[in-house]
Amino acid sequence: MGALYNRAGNHHNDVGSHMSNSLTLAPAPRSDAAEQVRAEVREFLAAELAAGSFETHVDTWLGGVDPAFSKKLGERGWLGMTWPKEYGGHERSAMERYAVTEELLSAGAPVAAHWIADRQSGPNLLKFGTEKQRREILPRIAAGECFFVIGMSEPDSGSDLASIRTRAARNGDGDWVVNGAKVWTSNAHHSHYGIFLVRTSPSDSANRHAGMSQLLVDLSLPGITINPIRILDGGHHFNEVVFDDVVVPGDMLLGEEGNGWHQVTAELAFERSGPERFLSTYPLVAEFARRVGDSGDPAAVATLGRISARLLALRQMSLRIAAALDRGELPNIPAALVKDVGTTFEADVIEEIRKVVDVTPSLDSPDPLGRALAEAQLHAPGYTLRGGTNEILRGIVARGLGLR
Amino acid sequence: MASDQDLVVETVRDILTGFEPFVLTPERRWDEGLWSALAEAGLTGVGLPEEAGGSGGELADAVAIVRTLAAGAAAVPVAEQLLVAGPALVAADLDLPSPEEPMTFAVADAVTVHPVDNGDGPGRFTVNGTVTDLAWAGVASHVVLLAPASAGSDGALLALVHVADLEATDAFNLAGEPRGSLVLDQVAATGALLSAAQAQELRARFALARAVQLAAALEQVLAWTVQYAGERQQFGRPLGKFQAIQMELAEMAGEVTAVTALTDAAVQALDRGSADVVLAAAAAKVRAGAAVEVVARLAHQVHGAIGFTQEHKLHHLTRRLWSWRDEAGSDLAWSRVLGAGLLAGPDDFWPALTRVV
Repeated sequence: MGALYNRAGNHHNDVGSHMSNSLTLAPAPRSDAAEQVRAEVREFLAAELAAGSFETHVDTWLGGVDPAFSKKLGERGWLGMTWPKEYGGHERSAMERYAVTEELLSAGAPVAAHWIADRQSGPNLLKFGTEKQRREILPRIAAGECFFVIGMSEPDSGSDLASIRTRAARNGDGDWVVNGAKVWTSNAHHSHYGIFLVRTSPSDSANRHAGMSQLLVDLSLPGITINPIRILDGGHHFNEVVFDDVVVPGDMLLGEEGNGWHQVTAELAFERSGPERFLSTYPLVAEFARRVGDSGDPAAVATLGRISARLLALRQMSLRIAAALDRGELPNIPAALVKDVGTTFEADVIEEIRKVVDVTPSLDSPDPLGRALAEAQLHAPGYTLRGGTNEILRGIVARGLGLR
Repeated sequence: MASDQDLVVETVRDILTGFEPFVLTPERRWDEGLWSALAEAGLTGVGLPEEAGGSGGELADAVAIVRTLAAGAAAVPVAEQLLVAGPALVAADLDLPSPEEPMTFAVADAVTVHPVDNGDGPGRFTVNGTVTDLAWAGVASHVVLLAPASAGSDGALLALVHVADLEATDAFNLAGEPRGSLVLDQVAATGALLSAAQAQELRARFALARAVQLAAALEQVLAWTVQYAGERQQFGRPLGKFQAIQMELAEMAGEVTAVTALTDAAVQALDRGSADVVLAAAAAKVRAGAAVEVVARLAHQVHGAIGFTQEHKLHHLTRRLWSWRDEAGSDLAWSRVLGAGLLAGPDDFWPALTRVV
């Protein structure tokens, strides 16, 4: 048999346990509170749809900006759900928040206005913000009245975030003077604030992650120009945000000077694990399910089953992350893995559905399935790029496997 | 599953290490020595109630045993006995054979079961016909059959037959596990009538048992491949240091994690008696089957030529993966069950999905 040949199962201990430390999370407990709020959101959405307050679309957490809708969610206590009450939050669990966000996305509701503030900027402020910053801003986010944009990437810095060049330097008054440009800033033109990763010390080739800080910036400040960058379907969601000697008050540093890389990393579990990483194209799946229900075509029924199996697995993976967040963990590696699998799925459903329906995709199609296919297709390149490309994510997973 | 099962897993592993890797051939159809050791330790009755002759314990314990043995490519009918045939008999209030005698399960659409009155009271039947694709044919002493009920009834019959004296045909799955046919000619059986819903739940149990085995084998194949990539040196460094290899291993890890998460959830659905257990099991089976293509392909790719030989252990699990994904109901069959089941209920599609697991 030779040295290569070992009893099947013997290696489970060493390699298996290594993996379980970094990649595998415990199953999520069932949450009655989550199911309760899920039912409430469902009822709300049915009423809103019936009243014609919104139309279902694909990828609405990028494209569906509707401040009035966000405000309604705030009024119902569905924003800032997990934050302390003293900051306008509702002290509910990540599992409950998961149920709310999942229902909103599955309905294709217009959630883009508040999405980043509620998901990421709020928790970031809670963790690193000053008391003044928290008191001023968090209650407004939770009310659905204050929207955020995140500025990390730059024209010359995509996945290689440590190479950013936007600079912030203290002036004589102790304020920050910012110069540079950020790109892919989703919905900057609808936002009140941005959290921007900037260089506050010159780059150091020996420590590429040093010298960066996060600045909290009021987007109405003089010297800020917001230029649209249109995506494939002509939609205006992305922007270039240009800083030309913008003076940001000294007390708007977020967290510690020089700690920007660490702070950005701490956001990632929030950014990468939620249901928006596998439900962006769910409205297409729902439209397909309606079609299959009418036709009964056996091949399409099987395809619907296969899509559903993948979706159900992703829900369980994402729920495990929500449960880990409730336990106070910051599961960045499992979050990267969920995002890789989930965003791959978002694009795959287009191909799966195409194989079994005879529909031409067009934004002008009289057929809702044709429109959903068109929307999903034209947004598809973004799924596996935004929030960390899948190649970057797989590199993180490989680290979790002990390979680097 | 939870760490409560750590002890049972350790026990099974200790037993496994005492046995050579078992190479299945038409002459060596199962690992009888391993089975005896497991039976002696009471592990072939786990999850079956003590008052019925089992060893007691929870479903989670039985699942942990099945997982450990599947990851070890053990050639014994434990999944069939602990997760399908045994629980089916217990649920139908039929007597369990001794757990030391191997028992398997089959959906037998081509057999007929007739009640007989031999003076022993109700629940006695005669079985006729051929059982095909029988897991552990020629190995198992007993078979629990799910057979069509008589014409006009939409239920099914659960029948326990003793088959130790019958000759099975030679047929094997891709891994060499026996999957032959058994001709039943006026064979006596004990049995019980099941409703159509109960019959479908039993088929789903069988599918879930295979999903549990698939999940464990997929995890093990990933672990072997990660280990191999760390050890095998080419171009002056371990394979795992190449980004191209890292991308492949990360993709495998994503698939494995998805399967584990859904399979665990489906097992929990079974454990709590969920009304949606059929769809949960269907989803777990389909998802596990989908992962097989990716994980087995990439595992072989990373292992290179040695993994394509019987010299190396990899084939013990990859060949099982390729078979198990279409056993206990094919991938196509369960995909249809899942798709149709989600569309059939009173709810819209999304509420139906979120109810399953």
